[in-house]
Amino acid sequence: MFDAAHLAPPRPARRFRAATEEPAALRRGLIGLVFVLLAVLLFAPLVTVFGEALSQGAGAALTALAEPEAHAAIRLTLLVTALSVPLTAVFGLAAGWAIARFDFPGKAVLITLIDLPFSVSPVVAGLCLVLLFGANTTLGDWLVGQGMPVVFALPGIVLATVFVTFPFVAREILPVMVEQGRAEEEAALTLGASGWRMFFTVTLPNIRWALLYGVLLATARAMGEFGAVAVVSGKIRGVTATVPIAIEMLYNEYLTVAAFSLAALLASLALVTLALKTALEWRHADALSANRRA
Amino acid sequence: MHIEIDEIAKTFGRTAALQPVSLSIPSGALVALLGPSGSGKTTLLRILGGLEFPESGRVLFDGHDATGLTVQERRAGFVFQNYALFRHMTVFENIAYGLKARPRALRPEKEEIARRVTKLLELIRLPEIGGRYPAQLSGGQRQRVALARALAIEPRMLLLDEPFGALDAKVRKELRHGLREIHDTTGLTTIFVTHDQEEAMELADLVVVMSMGRIEQVGRPADLRARPASAFVREFLTA
Amino acid sequence: MRIVAKSPMPGFALSAGLVLSLLSLIVLLPIGALLVRGAGMGLGDLAAAISGERVRSALLLSFRSALIAAAFNLVFGVVVAWVLVRYRFPGRRLIDAAIDLPFALPTAVAGIALTALYAPNGVFGQIAAGAGLRIAYAPPGILVALVFVGLPFVVRTVQPVIAEIDREVEEASATLGASRLTTLRRVVAPVLMPAALTGFALALARGVGEYGSVIFIAGNLPMKTEIAPLLIVIRLEEFDIDGAAAIGIAMLGISFAMLLLINAVQVWSRRRIGYV
Repeated sequence: MFDAAHLAPPRPARRFRAATEEPAALRRGLIGLVFVLLAVLLFAPLVTVFGEALSQGAGAALTALAEPEAHAAIRLTLLVTALSVPLTAVFGLAAGWAIARFDFPGKAVLITLIDLPFSVSPVVAGLCLVLLFGANTTLGDWLVGQGMPVVFALPGIVLATVFVTFPFVAREILPVMVEQGRAEEEAALTLGASGWRMFFTVTLPNIRWALLYGVLLATARAMGEFGAVAVVSGKIRGVTATVPIAIEMLYNEYLTVAAFSLAALLASLALVTLALKTALEWRHADALSANRRA
Repeated sequence: MHIEIDEIAKTFGRTAALQPVSLSIPSGALVALLGPSGSGKTTLLRILGGLEFPESGRVLFDGHDATGLTVQERRAGFVFQNYALFRHMTVFENIAYGLKARPRALRPEKEEIARRVTKLLELIRLPEIGGRYPAQLSGGQRQRVALARALAIEPRMLLLDEPFGALDAKVRKELRHGLREIHDTTGLTTIFVTHDQEEAMELADLVVVMSMGRIEQVGRPADLRARPASAFVREFLTA
Repeated sequence: MRIVAKSPMPGFALSAGLVLSLLSLIVLLPIGALLVRGAGMGLGDLAAAISGERVRSALLLSFRSALIAAAFNLVFGVVVAWVLVRYRFPGRRLIDAAIDLPFALPTAVAGIALTALYAPNGVFGQIAAGAGLRIAYAPPGILVALVFVGLPFVVRTVQPVIAEIDREVEEASATLGASRLTTLRRVVAPVLMPAALTGFALALARGVGEYGSVIFIAGNLPMKTEIAPLLIVIRLEEFDIDGAAAIGIAMLGISFAMLLLINAVQVWSRRRIGYV
């Protein structure tokens, strides 16, 4: 039998380069540059987090995570996330529906306002909340009188977290809803579906992956928010200290292993977020907004 | 320019886009590469233009081996199916692009470039549109601008990929005459790809019928009609 | 009079009402509170509070550092995006996924990790110290942190634009005799420019307001390495609410300017190359 490869015509001596390609040497150089750049900028810090956490053995890291204050911080962060992400999701759904399905004056302004939190410094966001709800303001004093303090308490932390995560879900849902158009929903209405029925049986299934994507991003940000929470929380140990705040306090007390152990916990969650997000981009690309398609 | 295609073969992955194919195109001819999609006609055109490289075989321009020439060295005026106009440049800038891209020693003076662009705009009968952007043109205007841009580099041949494919029927008829006219004034060897047999038969001096990476028949339109070489050619021409 | 054209779609009042009330409660009212506070101070006091040397140098430092970091990210972000879209090599998809790490990693975590790396006894810090360079606890440390948090912006805005470039346009340029470099410069770069500028402006806005990743590595010396958001926190801890509000208003002004810039870039590019 002949090996088919021996019969293949000899390749031309000169290596041809397509008109849309850079020279091979430049290509290899750029790929190398990207590897070096990302190794230094991204992977080195990530490795450092885990390296420092485990620098005195896994036992020390686990002990640090078992401290009551660490527990309190983790519980608070989970609670804040559980309260703020649904708010962000409801806002995102409402914004998607109102903007993608109706025409009204001021729509463009509304879209800009939704993106506003992206360009406001988290510290300024926290400051704004302090100025609205804090001590020595009319509203703040009244709320304290009602036994419902906002600043230096859970509500303030939740408000600050919602402020910084506000656009996440809306930004993912809106382009998908605009792209899909309203024909399917109109069809459901002509078939006799009520508004809510149409929403749950047609709208929601169509945007579920985009919604999940936005929720994922919002969750990651909510668990890690630092600047805005630092301003409104008052950093009361064991009471208003979220995990990122606890990391700062431990770090400033030179409890490096403890600080990095909590940091490693958050970093692990960040990696899980990235993995889930990437899986969504690969498997449900067609259901995400166009610039999320891998 | 006389073009000689000598045993050109090309595969994409496992499918053979071109079985070894040979063809001789006389200088100054207006040639149609005619065939259904997947027949290899566009691949052959792109190999002539230097946009695709054959696995084996040679291309000869006026008897000189041109197989190893880069796209830039070929100086083939190429008109793309969707015209590929530079959307961030005006029509004037689009047409002047090839002249401005020349190395400094060969680059014409600014005034000379302007003069040539103006002349080309007159040739395509659109003297007024130099300042417009491609987005502001109709489909037929875009095609003519793409043609003028290809002519600006003083090409050795003109290669057109489905030049009328994106146009509606009425504009298509008009522009066929336009291409014939430009071919006759410039005298350039012109090769265009089409899947429309009526277009090929009406416009071309020489029609090359292709199917499945092979050349089925080469001949003048009248000869093809009178003596189709295979059942495929007969059926394709009467379709 | 109806505000919205009559529509068979239900739920406008409910959804629009939810959006407006949540937006007002959580975003607009608090920002309004800041503006009211500033208005209460009067223009003279406001200007005086901002023009103090410590505040001025903090604002300048934040803006200057963010500008340099965003410029770095503009150049390398376009390169990274280009390599990820156009080249095929092992590890490409992993790197593509990793680009978003700065979005996912909490800023405080990034801050202490970068500090450990670039401190004089850290892995990179030692190398820098050998070259006589001080990174952590000095202005370059701020740049390192801002490059980290800003990296994904340019990459992610430019990537989809590169993916959509019509290869035929690049081929057309080559058939007209242009070298690859000329094609990249005159045909590809102008198409990428609006997206790259948008990403640059986003990274800049993020950098000016960045707090968590910077405060650990900066050193926080007044007039030298003290960024504006930190000064707000310090003023609040000193119960100097007016001082904090003044800086906050200045930063809000920068944010609005940035937002306008981004919108202007997008309108301009749509008008310029809005193909049908």
